[in-house]
Amino acid sequence: MAGPLSAHNFSAQARDHASTLTVAALSSAFGVVLLQATGIIATSVESDVVGESDSVRLALSIVTTVFTVIAFYVGAIVTANTFSTIIAGRVRQIALLRLIGAQARTVRRAVATEGLLVGALGAVLGLAVGMGITVATVALGIRSGWLPALEYTLLDPIVAVPVVVVALVTWAAAWVGSRRVVTVSPMEAVGAAAETRNVGGRRTARTVFSLLLVLGGLALLALGVIVGLSFVGGLLIAFCGGLASFTGIILGAHLVMPPVLRLVGRLFGSAPTARLAAENAVRFPERSSRATIGLVIGVTLVVMFAVTMESYRAMVLESFADRPELAAAIDQSVTLTTSIFLGLVGFSAVIAAVGMVNNLSLSVLQRTRELGLLRALGFTGRQVRGMILAESAQMSIAAVGLGLVLGVFYGWAGAQSLLGSINHELMAPALPWPLIAATLAGGAVLALVASIAPARRATTVSPVLALSVD
Amino acid sequence: MNTTELGLIARVAHVSKRYGEGSGAVAALDDVSIGIRRGEFTAIMGPSGSGKSTLMHVMAGLDNATGGQVWLGDTEITELGDSALTVLRRRRVGFVFQSFNLVPTLDVRGNIMLPFELDGRRPSAKEQEWVDHLIASLGLLNRLTHRPHELSGGQQQRVAIARALGTRPDLVFADEPTGALDSRTGREVLALLATASREYAQSIAMVTHDPIAASHADRILFLADGRVVDDRPRSSAEEISRIMLSMESAL
Repeated sequence: MAGPLSAHNFSAQARDHASTLTVAALSSAFGVVLLQATGIIATSVESDVVGESDSVRLALSIVTTVFTVIAFYVGAIVTANTFSTIIAGRVRQIALLRLIGAQARTVRRAVATEGLLVGALGAVLGLAVGMGITVATVALGIRSGWLPALEYTLLDPIVAVPVVVVALVTWAAAWVGSRRVVTVSPMEAVGAAAETRNVGGRRTARTVFSLLLVLGGLALLALGVIVGLSFVGGLLIAFCGGLASFTGIILGAHLVMPPVLRLVGRLFGSAPTARLAAENAVRFPERSSRATIGLVIGVTLVVMFAVTMESYRAMVLESFADRPELAAAIDQSVTLTTSIFLGLVGFSAVIAAVGMVNNLSLSVLQRTRELGLLRALGFTGRQVRGMILAESAQMSIAAVGLGLVLGVFYGWAGAQSLLGSINHELMAPALPWPLIAATLAGGAVLALVASIAPARRATTVSPVLALSVD
Repeated sequence: MNTTELGLIARVAHVSKRYGEGSGAVAALDDVSIGIRRGEFTAIMGPSGSGKSTLMHVMAGLDNATGGQVWLGDTEITELGDSALTVLRRRRVGFVFQSFNLVPTLDVRGNIMLPFELDGRRPSAKEQEWVDHLIASLGLLNRLTHRPHELSGGQQQRVAIARALGTRPDLVFADEPTGALDSRTGREVLALLATASREYAQSIAMVTHDPIAASHADRILFLADGRVVDDRPRSSAEEISRIMLSMESAL
């Protein structure tokens, strides 16, 4: 099935699917390690305090599930986006298949099957990596003494769950990402089809829905903050509000991201390289929204946790100012909890970053002819590199910037609704500066790293080859 | 004697271009020596695989020759490095390709002004006046804010011509400029190129395999198997077809 319909050579296939494979492997390894860790921690607690194990197991399972779902969700967004980028690059080939009589649905199914295969392969790779990490950690832990030497179940059958889920999620994401297949006209194989802009039809419903979610969510969030001034229960209301409004923002990414990208693009000045980069970044608003929204989610979650925990820490330290040794102990445990949580959430940001890097790579690959034209007209290699770096920087700054703003806002709302009842007043958000600095630095590194491979490829484009009529 | 004294704007001497190595090597150009005359509209004709596109790429500094020498004006470009060639193309050469001529993310004005912007400078008052004149005479005045995908094929070629003429380059290369157009629009584009050459003394080298296109030129060079086989003054499409056919039968 996948054979004749993907008349693509092997190396091109491998390049197309490198990102999906990485994302699937990362997601599955993450899920496996978390599940194993849950079992191991519960077993070690069981040996300490009999009877508490069940509640520990339950609490850990909830935490595990939440973070795994977040990581898988971000992974799914990345994969769907990767597939829509792949499809954009295969339009001519798909049109040819349609021309000789393939049904759109059959072609789309073949693409989704590629997704399932790559997803399954990645998930199994992830299982191997995850198992390796767990076994090595347990061995190391027992040897260095911080883990009691017990019989741990190292191959819990439950690890099959994340593996299967990742494969299925990748399959579904590939199906969603290959929507465009259905709209490819056989004519596109014949003419030198110019760039077509496909404007989604069912956008209106999505826009209205996302607006409702954002407005309703913000209202709930405000209510939670107000209630939180008197009762601790405000957090629950605020949590629902935050969840709803953030979901609204993700659904409405096609409305939110393009203006942010444009705004950032304006910062780069009006040199032709910067202007072209700015235009390229919003060329397919839908695609660049999806490429960046994963990173926005990751950064928002990280910053939100950090801000909430920082507020909590600041308050605790203030309350126990007269008992320094207790304050220090609490400070230490808060810091430890924060780091663990940040590590867990930060993983989603890593998956999202993989997606962004790949998106830029593929989009440059698909612009070979245009790059050839620019080279023929007198763009130097340096100018081409500058343009791609600017594009990468623009996406990275937009995503990290928006994530910071949202994270500080949600973190403040969370802390306010949780802690507001103690002092009965509104407080300013406590900003974890080291983390913010680290996030910005991470964004800068990402912008650089994401641009290296595509920039190198772009400058080796020979104008003659790029312009030869195929 | 240099290129200018010969009344030429570009020339190649004993240029060859081979692809591949050893016995499997294919010669795209085989010891070609020609000159493109200043202010003339020259057509380079030949069947597919005759080497006409390769000749254009080598003359325009897009590709390196395997042997021989290439001049643009009095500059020998044979040994120039990539960045020197890039700047040379930007300032002294204009291009009109068959399709995919325009940067899709820039509007018409942005595309026409691109060579100036790439050079990091604003056009002088005189240059701006010239560009405005080109825009008006090519009928692009009310299209300036349109994107390429909003234009017809013929309009896109007009924008490409405006861009190619805008910097008053030494030489404009046109590679099958009518290949993607219907015959009426194609004739209009050819007439525009011929007018540009006649009225502005613009040197143009057009690569084509279409006898009708070539009949608009002042001079026609015929290529076959990487060699120049004929050199004619302005000819009718019938004569050109006849020459092409006789070339076919001679092979």
